[in-house]
Amino acid sequence: MSSSIYIDSKNVFLDTVNSKDYVQLDRVSTIYQALKDSIKKPLKMILLYGKPGTGKSMFLSKLYNDLSASQEVHLYKTPILDESEFYKTLAQDIFSTKYGGELNFTQFMKIVNNSNIGSIPVVLLDEAQLYSDNLMEKIRLLSDTRTVKFVVTLHKTEEEDLIAKEHFQTRIWESIELKNASPVELKIYIQKKLMKANCFDSANMFTNKSVNKIFKLTNGNYRDTNKLLYTLFDIYCVYDENRQLSSIGTINIPNKFIEMSAIHTGLINA
Amino acid sequence: MLNIRDLEQRWLRYKIKSYIPHFIIFISIIVISTLTLTFFDFDKKEFRELPKKINKTVTETQRDKEIALSTPKIVPVKKPVEVKKIEHNKTTIIAPKIQEKISSAIEEDDILKLTPSLNFIKSMQHSTLPYYKEEPIVKTKSTPAIVEKVQELELVKKIQKKTITEKEIKRINIRRKDASNDIRDIIRRFKKNNNPALSLFLAKKYYELEEYHQAYNYALITNQIDRDIDASWIIFAKSLVKLKKKDMAIKTLNQYLKSSHSSSAKILLDEIISGKFK
Repeated sequence: MSSSIYIDSKNVFLDTVNSKDYVQLDRVSTIYQALKDSIKKPLKMILLYGKPGTGKSMFLSKLYNDLSASQEVHLYKTPILDESEFYKTLAQDIFSTKYGGELNFTQFMKIVNNSNIGSIPVVLLDEAQLYSDNLMEKIRLLSDTRTVKFVVTLHKTEEEDLIAKEHFQTRIWESIELKNASPVELKIYIQKKLMKANCFDSANMFTNKSVNKIFKLTNGNYRDTNKLLYTLFDIYCVYDENRQLSSIGTINIPNKFIEMSAIHTGLINA
Repeated sequence: MLNIRDLEQRWLRYKIKSYIPHFIIFISIIVISTLTLTFFDFDKKEFRELPKKINKTVTETQRDKEIALSTPKIVPVKKPVEVKKIEHNKTTIIAPKIQEKISSAIEEDDILKLTPSLNFIKSMQHSTLPYYKEEPIVKTKSTPAIVEKVQELELVKKIQKKTITEKEIKRINIRRKDASNDIRDIIRRFKKNNNPALSLFLAKKYYELEEYHQAYNYALITNQIDRDIDASWIIFAKSLVKLKKKDMAIKTLNQYLKSSHSSSAKILLDEIISGKFK
C-alpha cells in the first residue's frame, strides 16, 4: 500500500464535525429517525444528551443539514453566553430584526410576539450545559410561547442532569440519549468511514481482534476512536516513510501499533 | 510528525509493566504448587509410615501383654533358696524367690529393704524399660538350684497363660493403650533423672490400671531410691494384696510399721487384716 492511502485513512479520522462524515449505524439511524419525527410534533423542547464523544454534535449537524431544506432551522454549535448577544442573534436569524443596542428578554419577547412567521422555526443549541441557569430559564420561557422549538444537547454528567431536571423536566417532549458504540457498531463505523473515503485496503485491515482491542481502549467512544485511529495511521505513515512496514506487514493491524497510538493519545497511561 | 523512537520506548516500558503482574502471578502459582506438592508428599510419607507405626504399636502391645503374662503368680517355695547369681538365658521369673528373700532380709536386718524381681526388671529392660540398667541391690550367691526353680516357675507361667481368657487380655490392652503414651513419657523422664516421685507415680498409675505386677515393681524401685516414701510401701502392700499375697503384704506392712508410724500404713494393715481391702 502506498503512503497516500495511509494519509487518506488518517484524514478520515480527523476530529471534525461534518454531516457528510456521518456514518449510518442501525441503532443511531433509529434514534435519528425518532428525533426527526419528534420535531414534527408540536413540542417545546427536545433534549439530546450523552457522554462526550458519543456523536451529539454530529447528530445535530446532520439534523440541521437534513431539515434545513424543508424548514427553518438554526444551528448554534458554540454557545452564545452573553444574554443580550443571544437575543440579538435569535432576533436577527429568526425574525430578521437587527438590534443595535442592548437587547433584554422583555424587548426580545416583544419582537417574538410581534413577529409574523408562518412555520415554527427550530433552534439547535449545542453544548447547552455551558449556558447559564438564568439564560436557560429564559430559553424555557421562550419555548413556552411555542413560537420557537429548541433542540438542545447536553453532556451527561451529574451536573447536567440537574440542569435537565430544573429546566426541562416538564417541557421536554423527547429525551434522547446517545451512547457509545458496541464492538460490532465500532467495526462498522470504522470500516464505513474508511470506505467512504475509498480506503478499502485500510478498512480490510480492521479484523475483529483489532477492533476489539480498539474497543477495549476507547470503550466505543467515537471521539476517542477517531483520535486513536488518526494516530494509528500517522504511525503507519512514519513507518512507511522509513520503509519499515515490510517487516510488520499490512494485512492486519498489529497490537503494538494500536497500543502505541493509545499511549500517544493518552488512552494508555505509560 | 510523531516521534516514533520515543513512542516505541514508551510502548516497550508499558509492555514490561503490563507483564509484571502476570509474572508475579506465574511465580506465585509455581511457589504455591511447589509448597502444595511438598506438603502432599510429606502427607504421603506419613501415610506410608502409618502401617509401620501401627505394627510397632501392635508389637508393643503384644510385648506388654507378654510382660503382663510373664509376671508370675506367687508360688510358695518350700525350700528357702539363697540366690547369689541369676543367669538369664530365657525370660525367667524368680519373683517369688526374691520376695522370699525380701522377707528373710527383713527378718534378718533392722533396715527394711525391698528388692525387685530381677527377671521382671530384665523383661522390662527388653521392652518398656530398656534404660533401667541398675543392678538389683539384692546380695546374691550363685546356686545351681535356681535352674530347677526357673523351670518350675515357667510351668506355672504357662498354666497361668492358659487360664487367662482372651476377653480379659483385650480389656487390659485397651486400658494400657489409653495411658501408654503418658506412661512411656514418664518412664523416659524417670530414666533421665531417676526421680523417685516419677517411679512412685508410675507405681500408682500401674496400680490404677490394675497392672499390679508393674505397680509392685515400681513401688520396689521407688523404695530402693528412697525408703522413707510412705506411699511406696502402701502401693507395694496393696499390689501384693491384689496379687493374692495378702500374708506377704501384712508381713511387709508390719515390718514397715516397726520403723515408721505411718497412719495410712496402719489403716491399710487393718483393712487388709479385716478383709475390707481385697
